[in-house]
Amino acid sequence: MTSVTHANDVEFTSSAAARMLRDGEACFVGIGTPSIAALTAKHVHAPELTLIYESGAYGTVPSRLPMSTGSPSVASGASCLGDCSLVFGDLQAGRIDVAILSAAQVDRFGNLNSTVIGPYRSPKVRLVGSGGAHDIASLVGRTLIVMPHDPRRFVERVDFVTAPGFEQTGDRPIGTRGRGPVAIITPRAVFGFPEGELHLEALQAGHDAVSATEGFGWEVPVANRVERIEPPTAEEMEIMARWTR
Amino acid sequence: MASTSRRSLEHSVAENVGDGDTVFLGGFGHAVPFALGHELIRAGKRELSVCRSGADILADQLIAAGCVSSVIFGWIGNPDVGIAHAFRRAIADGTVAWEEWTNWSMVLRLQAAAWGVPYLPAKVLLAGDGPGVIDGLQRVTCPYTGEELAAIPALEPDVALIHAQRADERGNVQMWGVIGDTVVGALASKRIVVSVEEIVADSVVDSSPNLTVIPAHRVTAVCEVPWGAYPSYVEGAYTRDDDHYIEYDRRSRTDEGVQEHLDRWVNVDRDTYLSMIDQRQLATA
Repeated sequence: MTSVTHANDVEFTSSAAARMLRDGEACFVGIGTPSIAALTAKHVHAPELTLIYESGAYGTVPSRLPMSTGSPSVASGASCLGDCSLVFGDLQAGRIDVAILSAAQVDRFGNLNSTVIGPYRSPKVRLVGSGGAHDIASLVGRTLIVMPHDPRRFVERVDFVTAPGFEQTGDRPIGTRGRGPVAIITPRAVFGFPEGELHLEALQAGHDAVSATEGFGWEVPVANRVERIEPPTAEEMEIMARWTR
Repeated sequence: MASTSRRSLEHSVAENVGDGDTVFLGGFGHAVPFALGHELIRAGKRELSVCRSGADILADQLIAAGCVSSVIFGWIGNPDVGIAHAFRRAIADGTVAWEEWTNWSMVLRLQAAAWGVPYLPAKVLLAGDGPGVIDGLQRVTCPYTGEELAAIPALEPDVALIHAQRADERGNVQMWGVIGDTVVGALASKRIVVSVEEIVADSVVDSSPNLTVIPAHRVTAVCEVPWGAYPSYVEGAYTRDDDHYIEYDRRSRTDEGVQEHLDRWVNVDRDTYLSMIDQRQLATA
């Protein structure tokens, strides 16, 4: 396997996330890096992966990266166009295996915030709100979270829990259904959630435990054995270049 | 469509939208009813409650134009471009109230109204901070399983404004491509106002009745408005003008900028509007 190290941040993140998707799974996909990760998995090792967008599109293999879940490219590549009820009904019934999400903030318990920075009623920054993120995190089999390495976006406690991860006790919140967040993937590392708290589990090429958590506002626990993540392969790079270059 | 029929864009809005109404806007990225929405602005409608799951820049423009007193939404922004700047300013200034759900719970609110039940049970809004900021949100215990569920209340808008590919003179509406929550939102509403790319012969509709998403008896008014969803897109007709959304992000960062955008794109007649669209570039049909 030929590996390359000149990948950019999005490519490091997307290829590591893509490898966590299994062939035959149904995958709820968000816009941006989540889409690149899912499309890479589909083209490299998981041809039977079903990409699902909340607008009602199933089986999507867009030729250009969708700008929104209702974009022309989501529709044109789809093999089934239902409506929101088809997709979210499937999700609520427990029929969707995995989702890839991102957010403005994530905390040490895997809670995601896309609602506000600052107090809810008088925010410093008013963001877009849940969309489907709350619904997906509450109902999907497991959640992968992709994030840039931006310390302002990794916080001990998010300002608003839009999409629930774990409680501070390490328990899944009452009312949520799946395994919850299983990994956060950044260009520097992969974090897992043993006992419901963020741990450093694997490092991307060129990074160590210090740089992987540089700027984070708390001491991040490190797994006993930290794995090394293979950089993007030439094949993965070729696939990702369709959407990133 | 009991007694009304084909109407102009102006009449459709004048006759069916009143100040203070709760208005559902159709369009999940696809077929956003910009022509109908812009007519609300030109007609000077006030104190509207605007509702839908994922609200794009049309909702932001209605807020900027002063038509809106509250927003009921699951998401509000500029799809993959950024945040809704006029909405952000309005909540900072306290000029707009808002009620924040999620995309699935918004769909369920509309579905409950469409089915005539007071609420639907759901497995969301049980965790996180979302339930705590919705006044009066209740839970129910399932009488069969004992499971605790959120009771998502019905939302019955006074009027739905939607755009679709085509309809006939009787009012049967045909739509394909991304539906999102457009059809459920229309069926939830007391009145349904539809703009279409084309009004077609009854025989066209009758030859493909599966494509009819809203039957005539529910439809209040239909108007023919080609390019009525621009700058969003209509499957089979034209693609999305992504640059327009990016330009709106830039201009809407200030009050002055957003007013200039509205002057250019809303406070104009239809022919001028059409002349500003790069139709050759965007047409897919």
